[in-house]
Amino acid sequence: MSAKPKAHAPETTGPRGRPRLASSAHPGSESEDGTFDRLVYERVRLGIMSALAVQDELTFSELKSMFDVSDGNLSAHARKLEEAKYLTCTKSFEGRRPKSVYRLTAKGRAALTRYLDHVEAVIKATRGR
Amino acid sequence: MEMDTHAQATLRYIRSSMDAAALVATPGSAGIAIGLVGVITALLAAGAGRAHSLAVWISAAPLASLLGATVMARQQRLLGRTLFGPSVRRFVLCLAPALLVGAVLTTADLYDGNLHVIAGTWLLLYGCALMAASATTIGLVAWLGGLFVFLGIAALLLPVSAHNLILGVGFGGLHLLFGTYLIGRASHEC
Repeated sequence: MSAKPKAHAPETTGPRGRPRLASSAHPGSESEDGTFDRLVYERVRLGIMSALAVQDELTFSELKSMFDVSDGNLSAHARKLEEAKYLTCTKSFEGRRPKSVYRLTAKGRAALTRYLDHVEAVIKATRGR
Repeated sequence: MEMDTHAQATLRYIRSSMDAAALVATPGSAGIAIGLVGVITALLAAGAGRAHSLAVWISAAPLASLLGATVMARQQRLLGRTLFGPSVRRFVLCLAPALLVGAVLTTADLYDGNLHVIAGTWLLLYGCALMAASATTIGLVAWLGGLFVFLGIAALLLPVSAHNLILGVGFGGLHLLFGTYLIGRASHEC
């Protein structure tokens, strides 16, 4: 048994269920097409990308145990990130068991960096007041 | 101000996600397995007398390594990963240099008859190895390494008669405590 701390999520939604950070549009947080990158700030997707920023690759079961989400929920989030080309997924079989290995792409790493810049800018702007 | 608090919470979440990912290669069961070997070795070495206690510890080292590696391999397999995935490879590469130096110094000390420094050397260098390996896993491993370094210094200062006890406390007791803590924390968070 390994110690696998769950990633404790911040409150990502405001009073009306809208993400709070998203309301503070900042140029640094925009995606390549100029729109705010809503893909990254969702709690599970942000966690997946952060985890893959420090681990070259993680399997589906590792990500599932880390974020305590259902199979369907995790694959839906991972698929969205894959469709945006933020992640790659390699599917194979180990014995009879299917195995999905996820990796962060250069595009995904850049998106995460932009998001971190945005969060940092929010902190700086708030403290500068 | 609320925005600032939320941004900080987001940064903490990113950090905890990164920590959680880095922890994958640190099974508490491996700590317990190595710790049990350490305790048993300390008991056997105490019974073997001062002249043979080092030989007992030296023969236990490969056994503990093998057992730890087997438990880690099993854990990796359960997680659907190969034993020498990138995270384990980095962990081993950080751990190996200090352990290799320990093996070389032990050989030199045995050859020169400097038996009184061997226990301290083992504990110090194992502690350094853990501190280096902590860069690839949880920060707690660095604290464990620090405790080993502390015990190593104590072993160098204390008489040889206390060395078996210190080795038992280090390789047995600290590993058991660390492994138990990790397992307890994991089950608490499940």
